[in-house]
Parts: sequence; structure tokens; C-alpha cells
Amino acid sequence: MSTATEAKSSVYEKIGLGLGQDTWNATLLRNVLSVVLLLVVWDLAARYLVQNRLILVPPIEVLRALIVDARSGEILTHSYATLMEIFVSFPVAVALGVLVGVVLSANRLVSQIAEPLLTAFYSVPMVALAPLFIAWLGLGFGSKFAIILLVAVFPVIITTEVGLRSTDKVYLEAARSFNATPLQIFTTVQFPFALPYIIGGVRVSFARALVGAVVAEFFGAFAGYGFAILAAGQNFNTARLLGYVVLLGLLGMLGSIVLRWVERKMTPWKEEA
Amino acid sequence: MASEFAIRNLNKVFTSQGKLPVEALRDINLTIADGEFVSIVGASGSGKSTLLRIIDGLETASSGTVHVDGRRVTRPGRDRAMVFQQDSLLPWRTVLDNVAYGLLLGGTPRAEAAATAQRFVDLTGLCGFERHYPHQLSGGMRQRVNVARALAMDPKILLLDEPFASLDAQTREIMQSELLKIWQAQRKTVLFITHQIDEAVYLSDRVIVFSARPGTVREEIPVPFPRPRELSVKRTEQFGRIVDRIWQHIEGEVRRSMGLEARSAA
Repeated sequence: MSTATEAKSSVYEKIGLGLGQDTWNATLLRNVLSVVLLLVVWDLAARYLVQNRLILVPPIEVLRALIVDARSGEILTHSYATLMEIFVSFPVAVALGVLVGVVLSANRLVSQIAEPLLTAFYSVPMVALAPLFIAWLGLGFGSKFAIILLVAVFPVIITTEVGLRSTDKVYLEAARSFNATPLQIFTTVQFPFALPYIIGGVRVSFARALVGAVVAEFFGAFAGYGFAILAAGQNFNTARLLGYVVLLGLLGMLGSIVLRWVERKMTPWKEEA
Repeated sequence: MASEFAIRNLNKVFTSQGKLPVEALRDINLTIADGEFVSIVGASGSGKSTLLRIIDGLETASSGTVHVDGRRVTRPGRDRAMVFQQDSLLPWRTVLDNVAYGLLLGGTPRAEAAATAQRFVDLTGLCGFERHYPHQLSGGMRQRVNVARALAMDPKILLLDEPFASLDAQTREIMQSELLKIWQAQRKTVLFITHQIDEAVYLSDRVIVFSARPGTVREEIPVPFPRPRELSVKRTEQFGRIVDRIWQHIEGEVRRSMGLEARSAA
């Protein structure tokens, strides 16, 4: 802990907010604060800066558009479609990513052969393949599942492999000295060591899964946030378009909060790091 | 004869591709009695850590044997436990879980392992810190956990590889006398490695002096002080004479290795 951070957090404590603390409540409070700040700036900009309502509408109109869609049941339809895509594809991507990462870390030759491919796949924007997947798998769930899986799996593969491989030799020796079997070394040393890396990859992966879902829906779908955003854009309904963008933002924020909570629960030894 | 810990004609040469072989240990012969506390001192590069790693089974000898209780050892086993120099506690396990680690690996039921671990947590003065993680402890306390983790295995032989090297001078003195108290209570056979001569003399029944590159047994010096020993024994004249005698053996080695390093750097 550096003196600079200490000084900073003590200033916050003097103001009486305790916002700089690394506690659960302070984290929630910070999230609420940034949302409120965004709404205020947005509202001021729409009132005084950008008068053209095709380009920007104030938050209250966006809320009205969302209420209209909520009454008609459209929000439910689109939310169900997008959430289903993400909540099925994302966990599969995480599980598959960890599995592949483990296999790669266990076998140097396989890893060396796979590495150029992995690097290529990781850096190419996978969404470029979206039209192809829609042609193969249709407008329904299948194409969305494939695209989300493809964009979300790579960060997890890479962080899992790196985490497992970089396990400190000192810990491995200690385990060997206590006669640990290879499986025990994996479960009690390598995996716990890699866990913070893996969770970092999962966070990146969640953000990519959201992008994947929306882009996949852009290229053809029956429902979903991406579908709704595209439709609203074609009708020049800026309020409705922004409404679904806001919902996506909330989903991203919620995911980030949940993953942070998971991280705290799973890696308690990191709490002061 | 069966109940002995013996090292016979042990040699170790490190060979790696594209490099000249390095002779680390040459013809080591040592017999250590049950419950004896033996230290090995020597200049850095004298292969003392390598010897300890071979005894623990982390490394294999190029030739020669290590016997414990008449059985030849070639890999890690429950009859030996190592206290590492570096901080090798698992950061994701609490103090209690770290102490219980070896037992759990060996298949001891959870409740029994926890009870045993608790006894050694108490013995090493860690009571009240069971639920702490290693990063929340001071360096001295982390080494206590390290010692407790090894003792919890109830090994016949305790191997310590410069366990107090990273501690400050005051903490080190306290840890030395604590270790003696624990040894007095547990009566393990101890092989202790250090480069600190006064530490070796204070703790041991016998000090083995190693020469450098390759490591060989140069001298064996018995330490006659009665037990239990107080830290004040370090201030006696006889203590100073023994330390001096060991230093005379090592001094040449240290100078030689420094000279070698100076020449290779030039």
C-alpha cells in the first residue's frame, strides 16, 4: 500500500463518503454515482448543445420510449432473446475456454502449434464472420450461439494457459516435497494460482459476448437488443434506439458487478492486493 | 544400525545441454544419529542446498545413496519434511490450511488434519492467526507457519534450508531460540543449512563445514554446550573460539570463490 493511495482514501473519508474504500457498499455507490453523472451530462447536452432530436434526445424521452415498449411487451421479447443468447453461450464459452487452456498448458507441443492460430483468432474481429454464420445456421439462436462462443472463448483460453504456465516454481516444489500427485499439484497449486488470471479473462470475455450478441443480431435475427436497435435506427426513432443501448449498458454493468462479486468470493487471498 | 540416517559416497554432477558439466557435490559421507541436530555451513556455491534437495528427494544423486532407517530414499516421503528458504506458503490457503496441507495430500481425513494442524499452530506461537492468509503475516510469522507445516507431517527428519535467511537480525535470534525449544519438545533429527556460522554453532550438536565447488565435507566440529541453551551462550568466550575455528576453514573458500568470480568477470 503506497502512501499516495493512503492519503487519497483518507481525503475521501474526511468528506464522509468513504468512496475510495474497496468495500462492497462503496463499489455500489460508485456505480450509482457514475450513472447519475452520465444522466446529468446527457440531459444538459440534449437541452443546450444538440437541438436536433434525430441526433440526440434527452434521457426522459428515452425513458418514455422504453415505457411504451414495456407496455407493448416488446422489451420482454427482446430482453428474453438477448439474455438467452448470452446466458447460454457465455458460460459455455467460459467452460470451453478453461478446458482448452488446461489442455494447452499441459502439453507444450500442442501449445506451440496452437499458439499462432490462437493469436490470429484473438486479434481478428470475429464479428466479421457473423454474416457467414447466419448463412450457415440461420436467423435463430444457433448462429448467435456460435458467434458469441467464438468471440468470448479466446480471452479465457489465453488467460487460463498463461495463468497455469506461470505458476511459481517455489509452490510446485513445496507440493512435490509433500509428495503431491500430479492431479493434487493441479488442484491445490496450479489452478488456484491461475484463478485470478482466469477471472480476468472471464471479465474481458463477458464484454466481448455482449458485443458478439448485438452484432450477430444486426446481421439478421427475429428479436433481441441488436435487432431492436437496428429497427429503431431504420425508423429514425432515436429515443427507442438509445433506450435499448441503455439496457445494454445496464446489462454490462450488472455483469461487471456480478463478476467482481464472484472474484471476491473465489479469490479471498487477493482482497488487499 | 537400522535406525540411522546415512549418506554414502554421494556425488552430484549437473549436466545440461550445451554447457559444461558442473560438479556440485563430491564424495559426501555423513551419518547422523537419531535426534541429533546437525548444521552444514559453507560458502555460497558449496552445494549444501543441493545436498538437502537430494535428501528430500526433489533432486536425484548422480551416484551414492541416502538411507533413512535402513531404507534407501530416492523420492519425497513422509519420513522427511523440508522447510524452504523462500516463502513457499500457498497464498490461497489460510495459516491452518497451509499447516494441514501435507497431511491432506497424504489422505488424512479433514477433521483429523485440522486438529493436528491446530496443535502445531499452537506450538509455533501462531494461535489466533489460523484464519489469516500468508500475505497478512510478517516474515517471521510466515517462517513459523513453514516450520509448523513441516512438523505437522511428524517426519523423522526435519530438513531446513536457510530458513531464517530473509529475516532481520533480531527476528532471526528469536526464531533460533524458538526452533531450539520446539526441537527440545519434538526431538526430531534435524539437518540445518545456513551460511551463518554463529547460527549453526548455537543450534547444533555438530557443525559440518563444506568446501566450495565441488562441495565436500571439509571438517566436522562438535559443539559441546549443554542443553537447553540460552541465547547468552553466544556471548561466551568458548563460543567465539568455535566460530573462529569454523571461519578459518571457510574464509579461504570464500576468498577463493570471490577471486574466481573476479577473474571470470574481468
